[in-house]
Amino acid sequence: MSEAEISETFDCFGSSCAVFVIGSGQQGSAQSAVDLVRRQLEAWHGRFSRFLPDSELSLLNDDERQEVPVSPLMARFAQAVVIAGSFTEGLVDATLIDQIETAGYVEDLSHSLALAIALRLAPARKPAAASMSRQWQRVEVNLAKSTITRPPGVKLDSGGLAKGLFADVLAEALRSHPSFAINCAGDLAIGGAEAVTRPIRVSSPFDGRILHTFNLRQTGVATSGIGRRSWLDSSRSPAHHLLDPSTGKPAFTGIVQITALAPSALMAEVHAKAAILSGPRAAPGWLPHGGVIVLDDGTHRVIEPAPVVTLSQLSAYTQHPRMQAHQAA
Amino acid sequence: MDSHNQASSERSPSYSREQLSASGLARSRRAAIRRRARRIRRVVASFAAVLFSTVFLVVYVQLASGHDPALSKKHTAATAVVNTASTAGNTSTSKSTKSSTTAPSTSTESTKTASAVTTSQS
Repeated sequence: MSEAEISETFDCFGSSCAVFVIGSGQQGSAQSAVDLVRRQLEAWHGRFSRFLPDSELSLLNDDERQEVPVSPLMARFAQAVVIAGSFTEGLVDATLIDQIETAGYVEDLSHSLALAIALRLAPARKPAAASMSRQWQRVEVNLAKSTITRPPGVKLDSGGLAKGLFADVLAEALRSHPSFAINCAGDLAIGGAEAVTRPIRVSSPFDGRILHTFNLRQTGVATSGIGRRSWLDSSRSPAHHLLDPSTGKPAFTGIVQITALAPSALMAEVHAKAAILSGPRAAPGWLPHGGVIVLDDGTHRVIEPAPVVTLSQLSAYTQHPRMQAHQAA
Repeated sequence: MDSHNQASSERSPSYSREQLSASGLARSRRAAIRRRARRIRRVVASFAAVLFSTVFLVVYVQLASGHDPALSKKHTAATAVVNTASTAGNTSTSKSTKSSTTAPSTSTESTKTASAVTTSQS
């Protein structure tokens, strides 16, 4: 007996989202689950976009009160901002809205600067560093009361962290289905009750060719880079959406794209951003669960996830003829 | 009467014969309780050791023979490919693609085929 996979690809978050579901589960049929994911993501886009003046995020950022009541998901997002800042010691800073708007990212970008041109015009490469002000440290979240406390003026940028969070929340809703994958504009959550292996292909930011394929069952995957959402600023310098928190300007570190694997899509997003901002030397340290690093010159390095060794594999190893010969010697 | 009892009776000359025989009886009962507790402890320890060894042996033999239950689930690699690479250029017009992929099946077992997902920067 075979089961059909239902999938749908649609535009959301100024990018492309996709959902794949096999079999029935808590959300009903695979088709019902796909519909739910699409409905939910589109609703969240309306609430978390900083480009919509009446979105919950825009209203929060403009709120003059110190303590602001928010929706439970917004509270979780704010908590993710604090965790990301704390985990990366300020390298992943989602409070840089003023800086990114100053850099020129004030609306959804429909076109990007060609990566090769951006790299040619870019300043000298150097690793990014944390901001001195560390605004994320001033954000306090009360999940029980669904409130966010911060000095007025400290603004949150939904960026990649929100997409990772959305993928994880939806993955939780779909976990009883035999298999699913949710691609939330580059942040993926894959899993399911039957742990079906799914190939995850990493494409090149230069020409779109497949650089590597991971075969994964239950994990989070995030790809972050400077190849898209890029533009020429007012001084005709290349700019993109990944800022160096220490300067508030687009970071050119020598890495153009990172794909990170992690137990959740949110953590994968944090690992990917931290890796790309820390530069080629420190990036592998941010990929403990595996990933792919693509450098400015087009070369790439694959870091395979640590293998899971079962008891039977260990037993088979100890029973290997060469091992036995070694023991006999 | 042995020297030990003699010494005891010298230390407690006021005890009657009935009292002495009662304390002797209590002593022997205490010793009996201790012996019984030791016996029970030994039986429980032996039973636990045998049970653990049996379970360990069963699990070890099963895994060593290549019958890991975690590996026996039917995992199938994908054949279908769906490209979900996100592009900034396609955001001006809203579009949606629906698809349904049916996995090849055998007559005896359930087979699930998961589509490949291509990840690229958003």
